[in-house]
This record gives sequence, structure tokens and C-alpha cells, in this order.
Amino acid sequence: MTPEALAPLAFSVPLAVAALGAAIGPFVPRRVLDALAIATGLFCTAACVLLARAAAHGTVVHWFGGWTPRHGIALGIAFAVDPIGAALAAFTAFLTTVALLFTWTYYDESGPPFPVLMLTFMAALIGFFLTGDLFNLFVFFELMGVAAYALTAYRSEDDSAVLGAFAFGVVNSIGAFLILLGIALVYGRTGALNMAQLSHALGAHADALAILAFAFIAAGLLVKAALAPFHFWLADAHAVAPTPLCVLFSGIMVQAGLYAVARVYWSVFSGALAEHDHVLRTVLIAFGLVTAFAGGIMAFGQRHFKRLLAFSTIAHTGILVCAFALLTARGVAGMVVYVLGHGLTKGGLFLCSGILLNRLGTVDVDVLRGKLRTKPWGSVAIFLGALALAGTPPFGTFLGSSLIAHAADEIGLGWLPWVLLVAAALTGGAVLNALGRMAFGWGPPPDPRAKTPAHESPEASAGGDRGFPLMMYACSAFLIVCACAIGLVPGAASAALGAGERFVDRAGQLAIVLKEMPGAALAMPPAEPIATSLASGFLAGALALAFAAIALFAHRLPSGAGAMRALESALVPLRRIHDGVVTDYVAWLAAGTAALGTALAAWMR
Amino acid sequence: MISFIAFAVPAWIFVAGLYGMATSRNLIHLILCLSVAQSSTYVLILEVGYRLGATAPVFGDVLPGTRAVDPVVDALTLTDIVVGATVTALLLAFALRIYKKRQTLDPEALRAMEG
Repeated sequence: MTPEALAPLAFSVPLAVAALGAAIGPFVPRRVLDALAIATGLFCTAACVLLARAAAHGTVVHWFGGWTPRHGIALGIAFAVDPIGAALAAFTAFLTTVALLFTWTYYDESGPPFPVLMLTFMAALIGFFLTGDLFNLFVFFELMGVAAYALTAYRSEDDSAVLGAFAFGVVNSIGAFLILLGIALVYGRTGALNMAQLSHALGAHADALAILAFAFIAAGLLVKAALAPFHFWLADAHAVAPTPLCVLFSGIMVQAGLYAVARVYWSVFSGALAEHDHVLRTVLIAFGLVTAFAGGIMAFGQRHFKRLLAFSTIAHTGILVCAFALLTARGVAGMVVYVLGHGLTKGGLFLCSGILLNRLGTVDVDVLRGKLRTKPWGSVAIFLGALALAGTPPFGTFLGSSLIAHAADEIGLGWLPWVLLVAAALTGGAVLNALGRMAFGWGPPPDPRAKTPAHESPEASAGGDRGFPLMMYACSAFLIVCACAIGLVPGAASAALGAGERFVDRAGQLAIVLKEMPGAALAMPPAEPIATSLASGFLAGALALAFAAIALFAHRLPSGAGAMRALESALVPLRRIHDGVVTDYVAWLAAGTAALGTALAAWMR
Repeated sequence: MISFIAFAVPAWIFVAGLYGMATSRNLIHLILCLSVAQSSTYVLILEVGYRLGATAPVFGDVLPGTRAVDPVVDALTLTDIVVGATVTALLLAFALRIYKKRQTLDPEALRAMEG
């Protein structure tokens, strides 16, 4: 089978299986459906890996219905698969498979909708990564969204889950409208929807309309990517969504939003906006840094472990936005490696929180105080995950941040990696802080006046008497081991750098998609390996330990308790804006879009 | 002037929808405001495909070479409407579920979690 024929199968097969599952679901045993879903996940993983291998030799283009371009004019809808898109699609399928394996023993009762919706969600994400058409991108964005809202509210007897899904749905729908408005503007200007055709038609000069269109599309996609101040939905949705789903939310869905911004920028607008790239860089780095620190600080002091991890995802989104904002091929390469390393780590940590929820019935850190003594393996996994979040060698996040640091140095932003290192260490420290409380009962005693946490309905009946949850531990350990392995694979860095060069090659993409030039013209350029600085990685790990130690033990020092109280009250305003009121989230979204749009439009003039 | 109105109308509809959402005190009202905001996208898309003095893009009984409006924008709008209907239905189902549990639809009273 040729790779061109494989590309549509990677997203149509899971959709077909999902439809079949919905039809036969009520009549077959649950295990049959689960096995079918897992087999489909494995198929998609294999298909996308094959696609990535093929794409390494040249972008794989598939025109649906044979509507190939004539005389350089594209009317049909195309998939244009480059190595990065295919690799992220394969990663999506892989994470979905692991999440489905985890649910094998996780739910006592899971109805047919769960695997069906998971497959739909996966198919939409895969299509999102492979498509080369702007409107098609929007359709997959919406399909992914609808499946995700329904999955978030899967335990619909829990009203906080439905509320989280509601806020998620409203905020992301507004994001989708922004994307569509941007698409309409750029279609009105060029009459094209294919990304290569668009970039050809836009040419090398940006006018106000092109800038406005890009600002709308980027703002809409960054809602999905949870850039501050669009990030409020994420923490609420993650805290209430089924834990196996959180693996996909934090591991790949949020990053997919950022991937799409990078894709749209490099495939469509990079020619037109090239003269303004310093403005875009400044604005995005500013937003990214605010996001990274808001997320890192909010992660500290969360009692709800899943919500803590959600804020850590927000912080890492900020780091990833900064990596994209470098607007270089190496920045893209670093971003992708970081996405993989972070997704595996965060997936492993979410599965650990799932084990806690399943065995102990809660993820409230104060309730679990000292209770993890009996779960040494879980504690070790969380400890390793926390170090990986901080970017400690040898995890994939370390390799990713080394690449990002290298890319930042190249364009004279040598200070940026050190700032990002602190933000990453904050998230690692927040997890270690929670672990210290749960495993050893360290830290100041919980404030008895504190409000009782949001009602937590156990996702599956808690029972420690069902023996060692081997499958759950295996899934979570597997992800953490993979997070480590990806940082150790020889050649990973140079492959990513080569793929990054391909990703930013607008002219090459254009030639392949519109004129069907042989792919060999775009062989991956060889990339020289870069020197990684082990010292900075270990510094990040040490910093994470230090942050956790301050949070756990500062109250024992003379005047330490007072200082901690002062710090906490300084952070009250930040905590207060995360108030769980959906109308406020809409207001923040409007303000953020206006700020982003104004900053870009005013400076680019 | 025409082109100013062409951009001003969808912008006004979108902002009106957003304002309604940000100030809403009822989730059903909020969902309807979301639909209002969405209709701005229909208006803008249909506008960019419009051609002065052109007919509908149905080529059954018109002479070849007759000016027609862009058919692609119709397809885009239809897709958009389908997606919008799905999302609206799902959100309304959520609102119903929330009302059954909490006996209120006021977003201020329905905080999922804070801080």
C-alpha cells in the first residue's frame, strides 16, 4: 500500500470503527468493544509511524476524490503529511491506545460510549495533524471539540463534570468562531483554502487584512492551546474529566492547538509576515512567559492533584509557545521534542492520579496526607515524573529544552532558556510538594478553616482489596519509561532538527503540494548534533527540589511561617480570577483576543 | 462604504454575542448568545463569496458564462451550521443536566471549583 493511500485510512478507519461500535455497542460484551478500540488504536499508531517514515523522504500528499490541482490551482481537499505532523499523529494514537488499555481494569462499568467517543476524538486529532487544508483543519478542530466535551461530561451524574464540560464547550466554541472568521477573511482575499495555495496567493507582503486574519486564526487556536488568558477552561475540565482522557487532553490535545498555529504560520503566513517576525516573536514570548509563570505559580497550593497537573500543563504550554515564538526551524524541532517528552510524562502522572482515585477514592492532597506510604511504586513514579516535568536529564523534556535553549541562543535570546527553566522547575516543585505531603505527611498541617474541596466522586468504586492493579501500574510506568527513553534515543535530536527544517520550508511545501514535484527534492537536510548542557538540566531538577523544600519546610524556620503567609496572600488575586464562572472566562477570552489582536496589528503597521 | 458595512455587520453581531455571554445570568441565554456570535461567521462567509448581480450557483437552466456567486462559501456555511447545531444541542443537554442537579442556571451560583 502506498503512503498516499495510507494517509486517509489513519483517520477514516477509527471513525468507521467508532460508528460500528455505536451501532453494536448495546448488544456485545464490553470487552469486545474495548478490544476493538485498542486494536484500532494500534492500527492507527502503526499507520502513522509508516506515514512518518514515508514523509521523511518527502511530503506525502493525498487529494480526496482525486481532485488534484490543475495548472497550479487546487480546488480539492488535501492531506499534506510532513514528518512532524505524522509523528504527532502517531503519538496521539499511541497515547489513546495506552489510555484505553488503562481503562481495561479502571472502570467497573463503562458503557459503549466511552471507547466510541475516544476513537472519534483520536480520529479528529489525527486528521487535524495530517490535513493540508485550512477549512478542513477547522472541521477537525470542531469534531475534536465535540467529542472532548462529551467525554469530559462522561460521568454525567456528577454535576461538576457537566459544569466543567460546559465551560470547556463554550470557551472552545468561541475559539472556533475566531478561527472561522479568520478563515473567511483570508478566503475573501485569496479565494483559496488549501494551505499551499493560500501561501502562494498571499505572496510576500502583509496587508492589514492578512495580519487580522492571522491574528484571529492564531487566537482561536491558542484557546485550544490554553494560552493565558484563554486557559481557564483547561483547569476546570481536567479536574473533572475521566482520568484516562486527561492523558490525551494534557498530552496532545492542548499541544495540537499550538501545532496548528505553527502549521498555519509556517505553511501559510510565513512569507507574508516575514518582515514582521520580530513583532510576532515579542508578543508571543510575552504571552508565553505570563502563561508559564501563571501556570507554575497556580500549580503550587492546589489541593486537587489532577487540577495541580492541569496547571502544570498550562505552564508547559507557555514554555512551548515561547519555543514556537522563536520562529526558527530549531525552535520548532525543540517544541516537538518537548511535546513528546512532556506528553509522556504528564500522561504517566495522570495515570498515577487515576490509580489514587481508583484505590483511595480521592485525589485531595490534604485528605491523602501520609496515605501514600503504602504505595511505594506510585510514589516513585510520581517522583520521577516530577523530575521529568522540571526537565532533568535524561528525560525527553530535557532534550526538548536543550534544543529550545540552543535555538534561543542562535537568535540572541540567551536569557530566555533560563527563565523557562525556572517555570519548568516550579511545576516539578509543585508535584514534589504534593508528593511530600501525600507520601510522608510533610509540610504545614492543613488549615482546618479551609473550605472542603469540591465534591469528588470516585470514578470507580474504591477498593484496596482487589489486589495489585497491575495493568494500571504497568501503563503508568510504561509512559514514564518512554519519557526517559525518548531523551536517550540516539539520533532523536538530529531527526527532529531535520524535520523542523522541513516544517518551515514553505517554498518546498508549495512546490510539492501544487506542482506534485517528486518528494526527493525535499530530502531531510542533515543536521549536526548539538551539545546539550547537562548542568542546566540538573540545575532545573535541583531547583524543583528546592521549591518543594521551601513549600514543605519553610514554616519550621523562625519567621518562615509568616513569610509563607505573606506570599500566599500576595497570590490571592491570581487565585481569585480562577473562579469557575463561565461568563468571566468569556470576558477574559474577549479581553485576551483584543489584546493579542491589537498588539499584533498596531506594531505590524 | 459598502465594504465598511460588510465588515461592520459581522463584527457587531459577534461582539453583541460575546457581550451577551459575558453578562449572562442564565445558561440557556448564554447558549443562545453563543449562537448569535456564531451567526456572525455565516454572515461574513456568505459576504466574501457574494458577487454583484450574480445568480445562485445552480447551473441547470442558465447560459454558460452567467455570473454566479461563489459556491464554496455555501458549502462552508452549511458545514458551519451543522457543527453549530451539534454543539448547541450538546450544550443544551449539559444545561438541562445541570438544572436537574442544582435547580439553578445562574453561572454565578454554579462555580465548579475555585482557586
